[in-house]
Amino acid sequence: MTGTTVGARAPRLTLRRRRQLAGALFALPAVALVAGLIAVPIGQAIYYSFTQWDGLTSTWIGPSTWTQAFHNPNLWTALENNAWLLLAVPFALGLPLLIAMLLHQRVIGWKIFRSIYFLPTAISWVVLGLVAERFFAFQGTLNSLLHFFGLTHVNTNMLGYESTALSALGITFVFTMIGTNTMLFLTGLATLDTSLEEAARIDGAGRWRIFRHITLPHLSRFIQLAFVMTVIALFSALFSLIFVMTGGGPGYATTTMEFLIYQTGFAQGDFGTAALYGLILFVLTAIVGIVQLRLIGSDE
Amino acid sequence: MAEITFHGVTKVFAGNVTAVDNLDLHVADGEFMVLVGPSGCGKTTALRMLAGLEEISAGTLSIGGRVVNHVLPKDRDVAMVFQNYALYPHMTVAQNMGFALKIRGESKAEVERKVREAAAILRLGEYLDRRPRALSGGQRQRVAMGRAIVRSPQAFLMDEPLSNLDAQLRVEMRVEIARIQRLLGVATVYVTHDQIEAMTMGDRVAVMRGGQLQQVAPPQVLYDHPANEFVAGFMGSPPMNLVRARTSPSRGGVGLAVGDQRLDVPGAYGASHDLPREEGAEVVLGVRPEDIDVVGSDVSGPTLKTRVERREALGAEILVHLSVADAGAASSVAYDEDVAVSRPTMLVARMAPQARVEVGDVLMVRLNEERLHFFDGTRGVTLRRGGA
Repeated sequence: MTGTTVGARAPRLTLRRRRQLAGALFALPAVALVAGLIAVPIGQAIYYSFTQWDGLTSTWIGPSTWTQAFHNPNLWTALENNAWLLLAVPFALGLPLLIAMLLHQRVIGWKIFRSIYFLPTAISWVVLGLVAERFFAFQGTLNSLLHFFGLTHVNTNMLGYESTALSALGITFVFTMIGTNTMLFLTGLATLDTSLEEAARIDGAGRWRIFRHITLPHLSRFIQLAFVMTVIALFSALFSLIFVMTGGGPGYATTTMEFLIYQTGFAQGDFGTAALYGLILFVLTAIVGIVQLRLIGSDE
Repeated sequence: MAEITFHGVTKVFAGNVTAVDNLDLHVADGEFMVLVGPSGCGKTTALRMLAGLEEISAGTLSIGGRVVNHVLPKDRDVAMVFQNYALYPHMTVAQNMGFALKIRGESKAEVERKVREAAAILRLGEYLDRRPRALSGGQRQRVAMGRAIVRSPQAFLMDEPLSNLDAQLRVEMRVEIARIQRLLGVATVYVTHDQIEAMTMGDRVAVMRGGQLQQVAPPQVLYDHPANEFVAGFMGSPPMNLVRARTSPSRGGVGLAVGDQRLDVPGAYGASHDLPREEGAEVVLGVRPEDIDVVGSDVSGPTLKTRVERREALGAEILVHLSVADAGAASSVAYDEDVAVSRPTMLVARMAPQARVEVGDVLMVRLNEERLHFFDGTRGVTLRRGGA
């Protein structure tokens, strides 16, 4: 007997190495998709922010767009408007939480109420914007209601004044978010083990303590998710409401970063600056997302 | 500490479903009462009514002499251990155990002292800072117990607390819970569907079926003197053999026809039991597996000719499945399981592992004549004079 056994030669790759290779190959399509849809546009935006670009031809002009942009008062107004609108977030979370708690108690007619609260979610924000515009208008529903309740001397025109237009926009935004967030919290409540509440009742806890010590901690992840979704919507999904309700005005009173990008790019034809504003908005949204992920991570 | 009394307690759910029907039960101060029965027998509903988690439809329920029908759970001073433990997931073991005390407004030092004491009893000292998800099933179970005992309540209520544990841990915790209950001497109502838990843990056991209390007695009394066929068949593993028989004429004793065989029962049963006097009346004969012995063919007394159909070796003992009806036939049992036209009477006998018994053997067995049970053929109640 001479020679070695057939088939006993050492494999070229270890099992571990082969698994890693297979993993990388399987992940490749997803990586390519993410790169194509996210990384490339971001890279392009960075490039265009250093150019003068009218949508067809671009000319490299260096960092001048950046220096000029930060001297533009409209940018700071838009950022300020975004910051003010953040005040709507607690309401966009608190009201749905309250509604979800009530619906979860199976109050009479809870199924009908659930559908009613979810309805705005199924309607285009353009339509919601039109309804809101009619609601807040000088001869709109709000004033009719006020007059109906005897407040005949009160005549509001929230969309007509710089001081109140942003509030009207914020209120509308809260209204549009109620459906989604209520559903999210109802889902969270449905996953709450009822025996926990029963155990707390036997332990002597009243309604408030049960909410504070059992329900709220259980819902924390759902609240965090709703927070991220709401803030992202606030930064990047208000366009249709603003376009329909105020067109960004009066003046720049309701112009947010998102709307400013549209105005700069499409109304003024300055796509280079618009690309820069897009980058700023992206960074702001990313910061919120990262902070939130950190908070969720620290809970683990 | 207090006694608990159910007086005519009834629970009717929506849709007119009666879960508990006119329950009368008294749990003495310090007593360990086990409620046992199959799924849907109303045992958990009875416990939840006691906890205040379910409204009572009729009757009165009192704890320590105070009627609690309309008293909120928090004001009943009872502690409950749930089947899934219901530990607060975001709180540590110490916080879980101290939650009720904190709500009660006890000082931080006092809460800490009581939690440490309870943790020592339950051997949980080193886990006090952990969250429930970092604990094993057995540890979680002990935390649930700890949460109950720190409160020094008037009564412990336990809803199948061991059903989520593996077999070995269940045996350990069975002993542990019984030990703690004896140590603290608090009236306890313990719900289970496991008759072994009921037998080993309870001072008394209440057997329920279809919302109705069947019998309440110390475990051995339930085992030795079941009030009806259901209790006889539910308590014990394997359960009591229940054989349909008809009365037949006999000189001196009581004659029974089991299948095509005749069984002579000692005359004393005629005095201690209300056995039907007429011929051909149906009765149910009960005999425990350990009360069946293999004997020679010349032995007198209650004997039956049987055939071994199955043999289950359990190590310490063997369970032998015997068919009675066609014991005279030499061939194998001729019946179709699906059709069951002439299903033979079956008996399970518990024998020593040394017993030389093989499938197909024809055996003469003798029933322990001092430990026979008779039940009414239609109503299923015991025919023993004076009931259970």
